[in-house]
Parts: sequence; structure tokens; C-alpha cells
Amino acid sequence: MIVEAGRQRIPVRRREAVDLAAVVRRLDLVLLLAVAALVGYGLWAVAGITRFDVPGDPDYYVVRQAMAAALGGVGLVVATIVPPSLYRRHWRTVYVVAIAGMVFVFAFAEAIRGSKRWIELGPIQFQPSEFGKGLFVLAVAGFLVERQHDLGRLRTVATAIALGTAPMLLVFLQPDLGTALVYAAALAAVLFVAGVRWLHLALLGGLAATLVLGILWFLPSAGIEVLKPYQTARLTGFANPDADPSGLTYNVTQSITAVGSGGIDGRGVVEASQTRFDYLPEHATDFVFASFAEQRGFFGAAILLLLYLLVVWRGLRVITVAGDLYGAVVAGGIVFAFLFQVFVNVGMTMGVAPVTGIPLPFVTVGGSSMVANLFAVGILQAIHARGRTGDMLR
Amino acid sequence: MSSHAPYGEPRASSTRFLPPDPGVEAPYRLTPGLAFRVGILGIVALAVFAVLFFRLWSLQVLSGDTYLAAAQGNQLRTIRIEAPRGTILDRRGRVIVDNIAGTAVKLWVGDLPANGRYDVIKRLAAVLNVPTARLAKEVDARIADPLNPITVKTAVGEDQVAYLYEHQSEFPGVQIQQTYLRHYPYQSLGAQMLGYVGEVSQGELDRRPKLYRPGDKVGKAGVEARLDEYLRGEAGQAQIRVDSMGRPQGPLEPRREARPGNAVRLTIDIGLQRAAERALRHGIQTARANESYYANGGALVALDPRDGAVLAMASTPTYKPSVYVGRVDPKKIQPLLDAEAAKDANYPGINRVTSGEYPPGSTWKPVTALAAMQEHMLEPYQSLQCTPTATYGLDEQEFRNWDPYVNHPMMLPEALARSCDTYFYQVGYQFYLGGDSGRTRMQQWARRFGFGAPAGIDVGSEEAGLLPTPAWRKQTFKSDWDRAWNPGDSIQLAIGQKDVSVTPLQMARFYAMIANGGNLVTPYVVSQVETAAPNGQAPVVLRRWAPDPPEPVGVDPAALQVIRDGLYSATHSSFGTSSGVFSSFPIPVAGKTGTAEKVVPIPGYPPGHLEDQSWWCGFGPAQTEVARIVVCAVIENGGHGSTAAAPAALRVFEKFFGVKGGYQTLVETD
Repeated sequence: MIVEAGRQRIPVRRREAVDLAAVVRRLDLVLLLAVAALVGYGLWAVAGITRFDVPGDPDYYVVRQAMAAALGGVGLVVATIVPPSLYRRHWRTVYVVAIAGMVFVFAFAEAIRGSKRWIELGPIQFQPSEFGKGLFVLAVAGFLVERQHDLGRLRTVATAIALGTAPMLLVFLQPDLGTALVYAAALAAVLFVAGVRWLHLALLGGLAATLVLGILWFLPSAGIEVLKPYQTARLTGFANPDADPSGLTYNVTQSITAVGSGGIDGRGVVEASQTRFDYLPEHATDFVFASFAEQRGFFGAAILLLLYLLVVWRGLRVITVAGDLYGAVVAGGIVFAFLFQVFVNVGMTMGVAPVTGIPLPFVTVGGSSMVANLFAVGILQAIHARGRTGDMLR
Repeated sequence: MSSHAPYGEPRASSTRFLPPDPGVEAPYRLTPGLAFRVGILGIVALAVFAVLFFRLWSLQVLSGDTYLAAAQGNQLRTIRIEAPRGTILDRRGRVIVDNIAGTAVKLWVGDLPANGRYDVIKRLAAVLNVPTARLAKEVDARIADPLNPITVKTAVGEDQVAYLYEHQSEFPGVQIQQTYLRHYPYQSLGAQMLGYVGEVSQGELDRRPKLYRPGDKVGKAGVEARLDEYLRGEAGQAQIRVDSMGRPQGPLEPRREARPGNAVRLTIDIGLQRAAERALRHGIQTARANESYYANGGALVALDPRDGAVLAMASTPTYKPSVYVGRVDPKKIQPLLDAEAAKDANYPGINRVTSGEYPPGSTWKPVTALAAMQEHMLEPYQSLQCTPTATYGLDEQEFRNWDPYVNHPMMLPEALARSCDTYFYQVGYQFYLGGDSGRTRMQQWARRFGFGAPAGIDVGSEEAGLLPTPAWRKQTFKSDWDRAWNPGDSIQLAIGQKDVSVTPLQMARFYAMIANGGNLVTPYVVSQVETAAPNGQAPVVLRRWAPDPPEPVGVDPAALQVIRDGLYSATHSSFGTSSGVFSSFPIPVAGKTGTAEKVVPIPGYPPGHLEDQSWWCGFGPAQTEVARIVVCAVIENGGHGSTAAAPAALRVFEKFFGVKGGYQTLVETD
């Protein structure tokens, strides 16, 4: 690495040039295999869960999910090839694209079940907020790394939060409280990994706690409703699911029953009555884990959780081997958002987390989520491949 | 610059080598601070997964069985399988009431969609042709009870059932079920006595919460109500798998067989009952033919005088109990529910045998005679002048005999046979002269003969009638004039007029006592409960009600014989009041006519208008052997006893003994 004075940028650019062979050689194979296993396992899960959903076509959803997975595989490859520094340099563009997608949703999307989340592109439904998660992390991380020398200043932190709040609000107003919370988690993780001072983090934590208490408690008692009543009920209902078993907490009650009835080795596809006879609402999407646990039991569900744990572990490892701060911050945001989604979704089906409409990565039926998650894994691979692994570490 | 770098760490700046080149970025490396933070994230991740694993473990492994049971309870719905209601049989085991198969449409309120519930109700009401508002009200009332379906309609037609099956998806919560409908092969036969079956009311549910469930059918009146516990059987249970919308997902799996209700055998004889009902219609016709145009109702009861078994019990006007079955036609059921409509139809729902109260008229004269003989106020073979008129009291009120052309002395049998009023006025006046104690003597005997209290029949409600006494007058009336017990009160009571009123059943019981030699029977309709015996097998008797043993009333047998002689004379001697009807009947029948004046409001007449109630009570065979049947008949506004009630009673004797009597002319007698 001979650097000529005055022309120092040229070799830097050359190092960033795509060297496919090197990238492939330096992929995180464990992560790749774990994700591949998750996708396959998820397809098997969906095949069982949705077998009786479309009369006469037991494979309706699994075929579509497999197509989404194939498309996501392409996305993974593309994301692996594209150097992450590209996003870093153009974080403003990335940010504008993310915001534009959500504004577009507001302007054109039709409300499904009272919520505007999807855009119709011909036969394909497309959910910008899912892709927005990745773009959001890329953009905010880009901003923070650009100001990495001013990270200790509260002003930088505040600006980063302001940047993050805009898309979060847009998602929240769709309304999609769950995804907005994922954004918040990702933002927190990005700030944390980027190296914001502990004091500021503590301040932020206090602020967030105040905000949650205010929205759920103080403001409603003052007559200002920030959340819709069903949202409040879902957030607080998980604490005592027996309060109203046929009403607001019906879903949680049925979901816990479904999980519990699975037992050790599951009831199988045909016998899983909670799923088959629609007692469990949204069993292919939000409550997919409960459905899976009912059909496949403790062993099946535990294997799924272990696969998630494997992905999280490899993701955390990517942070440590990242070749630059940007890579580390992006990996941190992606991994934590992933962890948060898994926890809230799985936790909600078992009554340990509030009910929010968060998809379970790689399992929930939904193309946008599948493609976006695989794309995010691609970014992790890109960071890994360009990091200080293998020969670089030597 | 270095102070604001991430993690606040100074960049490596060794002074031993060249100073750092400001144009070149120092290579990125993992700082301990970042490693620390990643470590924290790792711990958070581990904690998160630990929570999830433990929760999963606790739900699936530790309490999996509990939740499995809950999940299975979710999808299995228990359905009550209706038990066929027991049949009602006559004394010889012939079917009076049984069941036919029908289809019922039920609605599980819990399965109705929260939104658009009213649309489903509206569609269902339109298909089944029931009032939408009533169904909606019923649904609202039962909204908190998801375990018991509403019976929307029974006796649903095939077309409607087919439509509902084809459009099942449009009718969530609608269930089509086999049901049993009460069937009446003889239509209106014994309607008031048998009663009817209807859906259990809230009041009945509250009284018997363990026995009844909403939607059950229960007996509402008569035999059906009294013996409901035997007739109803026990509902079975079946389970069916349903999805969360309540749509069946599999076949009905029986869990417990329904136990059919037991049969109830009555003392009624179908043939005699039909004859009695026809006889009442015949009596009304002959009354109208004899210028009693307002004859419009009546009662007839036939008892076995030996034990009180009711052989026939007819009341007119009547109705068909089938109006309560299946689709209820409001027009047809109105006279049974609405007071105004009931009045217009002359109360078809009332069993006049037990609940109709009439002045007894001359049929009462044996009571007077027996009481007087027992009190030694009358010698049976002492002659008293039967005058056309007689005057009694300080105001010298004139009382007339019904027959103004008789004026000669007669003994008791002839007085009964001729039904001489003035003879009995003298007897009644004897009671009046007895002072305060004497004026209640006749009533005391009447009470021993079963008057003034319910006859104690086992089925249906009963009236007590009225036995006027001086005390009763004092209690009931306000003015001094009305409160006084005057000679007229005793005198009119002696011929069964003025305030006294009796039910036909009480009267039949009294004549049974005369026939059987002084024992008061307790009438009964239900003889036994037995197993349903299909295919002609012998039924097993589960419970038999022994008739209450007849109670001796303590009258002198000789006095009774005089009365029987008088009653036989009344039907056979040349001067007997109903000889024209009974004298040519091959079986000797003894009995007494009655023509009782009663205030009947008839439009177009001044208030207080009196109409004659036509009575006949008697028994046969008389004199030669023990009587086997007592018949008591009343034709409302039927005129003379001999022209309406007596011919009606004869029809029943004809049927009972299987011989024709036939009368040539009807003579108007008291």
C-alpha cells in the first residue's frame, strides 16, 4: 500500500473497487448457512401453517414465499457486492429514498385493515417501511460517521435523533406502531455502537422512558390521545391477558393457548386446531410463531430460536470485524433491529411482550419483509467481506 | 481534534517515528470501548433468548397439557340432542298425543359477526318468515349466553332447509337440527286437559335451573305440565368440531344418547272422550233448537263412581293444541293468550269441568234432601204439599214452583222426580228456622259432600265454587240489607240458586257418592307412567298412582236409597223430569236435571239478564247393580236441563254401554 502524497484518495478508491473473488472468499459462511437454514426452515413452517388457508391450494403461500426468498437471494448477492462505503458517501440520497417511499405510501396506498402500509405495483404488493428499516440504518449511520469527530457533542446526537424521528413518525402515522418501534430500536443501536457518550445515552434513555410513560399515561389522563385505543390496549394488555379474554386480549389468549398446546413435539399440521380453524388470528403473519409452535412443538420452536441466536451471534461478530466505523455501526443497527423484531414478535405470541404488528424475520408470510431481511444480511456480508477478517487479520 | 474522536481515545501518536500525517486517515481498528459495547449487546441478546426459551419451556413443556385441553375445548361444541317427548295414552294404551319428526333452525348467538349481525338476522328472518324485530330482540336478550342456541323456528319446511344448507356461508351460527314436534291425531280432543308444550320461560328456568336449559321444551298446562318430569326424557349430548366462525368441520359425534320420555297412561277412554265432546255439541244444538239461542258452551265429565277415575272430560268451546306447535299463527293463538280475544271466543282455553263455576239449580236438591234427613228436619216418606207458589219472610216475598199446575202432597222421591221447588223451599225454610246454627247445617253437609273446595283432581287448576253462609254474607257485603241472611237465602240455597256455585266436577263427585253408597272419591286422570313400548311389546310400568281410597261421608244408607229412588223415578216415572230422555234407554240410568238461573251479560239485554244453565247429573246402571259411570253435563245458557244437558248425557251413556237409547220428544222440565 504505497501512498503518494497529495494523491492519497486514489488508492483508497481502488481498494473499494469490487473484487468479486476476494468478496466471495471472505464471506461469513456460518452466517450465510444459518440464514439459508432459517429461510428453508421458515418455508417449511409456512407450508404447514398455511396449508388450510386457501381452500384447494395448500401451497398458495409457500410458493409465493419461496419466490420472495429467491428474489431476496438476488438482493443478498447485490448487497454483498455493493461496497458499503457507497451508502456512506451517499447517505443523504439513501435517506431521501427512504422518506420518499413512505410519503408515497401515504399518498397512494390503499388502507388494508385500517392501515396504509402497502403500495401496489401491478400484481406485487410492496411495503416500503420494511425496506425503510435497512435504508434508515444506512443513512443515520452515514450521518454519524460523517460527524464521527463530533460524536461527543450533544448537538450531533440530537441531529441524528431528529434525522431518525422523521421516518419513524411517518411509519407511526401509517399507522404501524410496531415498525416504528423497530426504527427506534435501530436508532438506539446505531447511536450506541457509533460511540455516543454514556452520559448522553443515559439522557436518551431517560427521555425515552418519559416519552413512553407520557404517551401511555400522562397525556391520556390529560385528555390527549397519541395512540389509538387499540394500540394502548395491546401495549398494556400483555401484562394481564385475562382481563378481557374475548375482546382486546383475545389474540394473546388464543396465541398462548396455541403455543402451549403444541407441547413437546407439536400437534402436527392436521391436528393443530388453533391454526387450522382460525382461532388464532393472523396466524400466517404476526402470530406465525404461535402457529409454528403449535404445529411443531418445543423442539421445532427451539430450533428456530437457536437459528435466530446463531444469526445474531454472527451479526454481532460482524460489528467487531468491520473494516471501518461505518461498517460497525451499520452492522450494529441491523443486528439489533433483527434481535428486537425476533424478541417482540416471539415474545408477543407468548405474552411476554406487547402486541404489535411486527413480522418475524424469514418466517412471516410477506415478500417485502423477506427481501428486505435478506438484503440486510447481504449488507452484513459486504461489511464482513471488507472487514479485517481472514488474511486481513493476519 | 482527537478529543472528539469516537470513544474519546487519542489516536496513536508515537514521537519515536514520523509525526502523523494529517492527510492520511489512521487505519480503523477495534477499540476496547467498541468491544465493550458489543459485549453488552451480546449480553442483551443472550438475555432476550434466555427469556424466550424459558417462556417457551414453561408454556409447552410444563403446562402443555392444560393448553392442549383448552385448545380442544375451543373447537369442540357440545350440542344437546333433543329427547323425544313421551306419548300420552288413553286407558287402553291408545295414543292420544305423540311426536312427529320435524326440523328446527337454531342460532348460536356467539357466532354472529360483531359487525353485520343485524344483516344475518334480517336474512334469516326473511328466509324463515319470522318477524325480524322479534328475532333481533331475542338475540339481544341472549347475547351473553354463547353456550345455548336460540330456537328460531321449529317445523321448518324442506325448501327453507335446502336454502339454508346451500347458503351456509351467509348464515354464520345457524344450525339445522332434527327435532320432535307434538302431534295430536285427534286434533282438539281433550285439549284443555292435555295442555300443551312450549319453550321454557325465564321464570321456569329460574325455578328449576338444573333441570331446564334455555330453549328446552316444557309442558305448559294440563297433563303436559303436571307430568313434565316423566314426559320430557333426558337430552343427549353430541360434540361437533367447529372453526372459529362456528362452522361445522366434521360429523356429529354422539357422546350420550338421549333418553326418550316415558309414556303416561290416562284414565280417559278415547272413545268416550270423543263421545263426550260430540255430546256437548249435540247438547248445544238441541238447546238452540229449543229456543235457547245463546247456548254457546258447556262441560261434561264422566267418572267411575267406584274410584274416581275420570273417563271423559270435555269442555266446549275448545281449541287445537297444535296451534302451539311449530310456526305459531298469531291469529289462531290469540284467544288463548289475549284476554279480549279470549272473551270474544268464549274462553276456549278454560277447562270448564274443573274451572267453570255455575249455580247448580235442581241438581243440588239431593244435597238439601240428604242434609235435611241427616239433621232430622225431614222424614222421607212424610208428605209435603207441592204448591204452585209460596211466600216467605217479613216482606212476604213470593217464590214460585217451576210447574204452576202441580198442587198436591208428595213424598221425597216424587219431589225429586218432579223437582218440586216449593217442596224444597219448605225444607230450606226449616234450616232457616234453625237459627244461627241451623242456617249453616246444610252448608256443613255440602262441604262434607265435596262442595266449596277443590275436588282434588291430579291435573290442571281447579276452582272451589262457593258455599254461601251467613258469615260469608257478613264478610263479603257492605250494606246491612245485603249482609243479612234472609229466609230467601236458605230457601234459594235449597234449590241450588242465588249465590251457590259449583263446578261440574264437584257435582259429578257428589253423584258418585250417591251411586257408590256414601263414599266421596277423589277424581284422577293419570293412572300410570310406563316405558315407551314400541312394536307392541308390553310396557313396563314405572310408577302407578293408586286412587285415593274413597272417603265415607257419614250419611245414612237408607237416606241414600231414598235419594237413589227419587233419581231413578226422575228418569223413569211418568212424571220424571228427564224420563222423556232416559226411560227408553235399555240400561237403567238415574239422574237429576237442573235449570239454574245465572246472570249472563248478553249484548242488547239490560244488566242482570238471567239465562238458564242446563244441567243433568246421574249414573248408571241404577238400582239393580253398582253404578259404573257417573255423568255430569252443563250446557251454558242451554235452557231446561231436560232439553240440552240430558240429551247430551244420554249420548255418553250410549257410548259407554254400547246401546242406543233414542228419545222421541224433548219435554221442557226443570
